[in-house]
Amino acid sequence: MSAAIDMSVFSETVFAIAEEVFSAMIDPEPGALQPSVEDVEAPADATYAWVDVHGEHPGRVMLGTEHETAMLLTRALLMMAQDEEVSDADFVDAVGEIANVVGGNVKALVPDPGPLTLPQVAAEPPADGAVLLHDAQFAWRGRPLGISLWSLP
Amino acid sequence: MRALVIDDSRTMRRIVVAALRALGFETLEAEHGQAALDVLEEEGPVELACIDWNMPVMTGYEFVVAARENPDWRDITLMMVTTESEHSQIVKALAAGAHEYLIKPFTPDAIRDKLQLLGLVEYEESA
Repeated sequence: MSAAIDMSVFSETVFAIAEEVFSAMIDPEPGALQPSVEDVEAPADATYAWVDVHGEHPGRVMLGTEHETAMLLTRALLMMAQDEEVSDADFVDAVGEIANVVGGNVKALVPDPGPLTLPQVAAEPPADGAVLLHDAQFAWRGRPLGISLWSLP
Repeated sequence: MRALVIDDSRTMRRIVVAALRALGFETLEAEHGQAALDVLEEEGPVELACIDWNMPVMTGYEFVVAARENPDWRDITLMMVTTESEHSQIVKALAAGAHEYLIKPFTPDAIRDKLQLLGLVEYEESA
């Protein structure tokens, strides 16, 4: 996938995509999502959501953040009150859909991409030999959030 | 008017349903193309179907092809609502019989604008 995307501008491109997704569907307040210059360690209590792109340049787009942040994203996307109970099914579906929309727009950067897989959500990233190409860090209302691009074996 | 929202994501169905109800639509839901065909068989034709592309069991594209083969459903307006934004995919869906194409992410205003273009929602009079 690295050969298909200009990695020198990946962070800027993914930020533009993520900002559009967040402003349209999650948090319309201008500036709610910001690029982050800090290196962020993987959180102990994390949620990962990803979609894979098949075809000539197989790759993966993965969203990673603290579980609590993922819960807040779910409530925002589903227009729920801050204290409203979130079911496991709603949580997995909502976080997966964010990865799906971001991943679908990243896929559009690849020439002649193959189909997008259905989103997956887990507390650990998949251990399947994928190689990290780039990790873009953002902050949503100060909360760390990463979007990474992987090459699939 | 009735609309059928076809998406495997309950989150996305909820978002699209909320936007359509705000525009005055009654809504039905299906989680994939085959379930949508079953809904149409049971409930009869609707005025609008909003269709995701990537779904298990039957994709949105396969649903469009199947829906267009049934003359009883020829008046249903078919709008793809999907992350599939490549030109070739858009052309493929339109050639199969879809009327309009809305790429995720979208706002409720974007849905309204598309439905106004399709003549399913009236234009608001400017003040």
